[in-house]
Amino acid sequence: MGKIWAIAFNTFKEAVRNRILYILLIFAVVLLLFSGAVRELTISAQEKVIRSLGLGCINIFGLLIAVFVGIGLVYNELDKKTIYTIISKPIDRWQFILGKYFGLLLTIYVNILIMTVFFYFSLYYQSFTSEEALEKLYASLGPGESVGTPRHLAYLAWSGLRSILNALKTLCFFPDEVTANLQAVILMTCLELAIITAFAILYSSFSTPTLSAILTVFTFVIGRSNEDIIRYSWFLERKGLTSAAAVMKYRIAQFIAHITPNLKIYYSDTSYRALSDPPVVVDTYAILYGVAYSALILSLAVLVFRRRNFK
Amino acid sequence: MNENRRGSVRCDQSRLAQAGTMAAVVETFGLTKVYTLDFLDVEHGRLKLRLSRSRRQRVALKDLNLTVEEGEIFGLLGPNGAGKTTTLKILMGIIFPTRGSARILGRPLGDKWAKARLGFLPENPYFYDYLTGREFLKYYGQLYGVPRREREQRANVLLARVGLRDAANLPLKGYSKGMLQRIGLAQALLNDPQIIFLDEPQSGLDPLGRKEIRDIILQLREEGKTVFFSSHILSDAELVCDRVGILYSGELKDIGKLRDLLSTRIKNYEIVARGVPEAALQQWRARVDRLLVQKNEAMVIVREESEARAILASLGGLGATLVSFNPRRETLEEYFIAQVRGRSDG
Repeated sequence: MGKIWAIAFNTFKEAVRNRILYILLIFAVVLLLFSGAVRELTISAQEKVIRSLGLGCINIFGLLIAVFVGIGLVYNELDKKTIYTIISKPIDRWQFILGKYFGLLLTIYVNILIMTVFFYFSLYYQSFTSEEALEKLYASLGPGESVGTPRHLAYLAWSGLRSILNALKTLCFFPDEVTANLQAVILMTCLELAIITAFAILYSSFSTPTLSAILTVFTFVIGRSNEDIIRYSWFLERKGLTSAAAVMKYRIAQFIAHITPNLKIYYSDTSYRALSDPPVVVDTYAILYGVAYSALILSLAVLVFRRRNFK
Repeated sequence: MNENRRGSVRCDQSRLAQAGTMAAVVETFGLTKVYTLDFLDVEHGRLKLRLSRSRRQRVALKDLNLTVEEGEIFGLLGPNGAGKTTTLKILMGIIFPTRGSARILGRPLGDKWAKARLGFLPENPYFYDYLTGREFLKYYGQLYGVPRREREQRANVLLARVGLRDAANLPLKGYSKGMLQRIGLAQALLNDPQIIFLDEPQSGLDPLGRKEIRDIILQLREEGKTVFFSSHILSDAELVCDRVGILYSGELKDIGKLRDLLSTRIKNYEIVARGVPEAALQQWRARVDRLLVQKNEAMVIVREESEARAILASLGGLGATLVSFNPRRETLEEYFIAQVRGRSDG
């Protein structure tokens, strides 16, 4: 376990010292903060727009980190031959794969945490600078005082600080009605990314970074449409599998649906719904499915890696 | 713990089996490696994934049988592409042999007990450039399972030993080639190994760097460790090796003690004398292989020992002074070229 942790921590260190990670993180943070501007452009359902933008951002950037940072991590070890000295140490090859996997997952989760803090910050900041709150401010303005005065700016700064504190407080200790739901969605994203990361490790254990990146993104897209593919096969079945072409289509759809993970279970459209709707729950099935699927894919990666000749 | 105890018993048994001789720490039995250019180079026992259209094959190593004994410096020599790195990669478990087997410290390839007792420096090493020298050694110490407190201490000792104490906190991306080679050597010594495998440890280094590596290798032998290294720089190998194996086109051409390989091959005798009369020089010119006269000194090269003795004996009578007498042995380089040419001609 100590050796797996050593490799995982070193992988995390490598990712943290990688420029691509920062570029992705800066983009994500800017986008999250920018959601305030989107709010201005929205006529109604502003809260929902901000929520879906934030959650979508966390999901997509989580995936991008898995693809662009993750895939290079295994390939670099082979390409730069650092694997030679690792393999000659008293460790097993499966320990190396698991170390890489957990290191990458740790990197992704730490980044999701950072993005979540910024997401909450923008949510709270918006509630403090909402029209209602601003009206209160205007009402309190003395004669001759106007927007843009030091007092106004001080108010905005104070709101910002309170938002950060509130975001941290909510995140760490007291999820309220809104954030409990958001946290559930983010946890689902984490589970989904655990599966995608396992695929990224599998692909990069035998192919080049570009090919691995393409395959990982494909897996994500197919995984998300897994249920639709099954529905399509049912549709074909209902129509009657009379022609050879229909049978072929049915079989292909069934095959793809069965060999790809069903990622739809981790996708919830909570952000588009009213808050009064029933909350999203991280259910046991989703957790077990995520753990089992990741374990299966990692076992495949170990199988490929176990007897591989490193050139 | 148990595994270790069992391991040492087994290892002792293998040593007892060879009572009278030194213990063999590396043994290979018909080691063969054929590279197949496949999409996926994965070997699962006999099942090989072959997804390429044609089976292009290259034999990198042919039926290698060799034994390296405890406490010696063994050099595996050969030109580029001879199969030296392939041999080391098989022994380190980086690639798998197509046929044959090998044992390190009496254990089969890939055994973790044996791996915990060996060190390895690959050719032209490249390490994690985002780590500092100290961080790197501590990370590898973790992989060897060295306890935390000891890791720090060993890293410091080794950094001093390879002369990188001042660069310990610099990231490896700022290291020169020689420094990388030295930090690579340090990581190979982290576990205080019984046997150290070095792949071309001196290639690409300046004369000073080469000497430093050579000194460390000799020091390791004094500490009772076995060193197995590959090289194509024969002059360096000649200075440190107890025994060498000569590999060419994947085949072991010769193996033995450097003394034995070269001693029977005294190439010629070189005599330098001062004040030899002109008449004597004229006489010698007809008898010797080469005669060079510069100022007052004459250098004579003869092939036969009896001829050399005769010249030496005559010096006193001629009133000349002997400056130097040097039986010139064949250098490893000359021997190596003779071996390689001889076989390829045949």
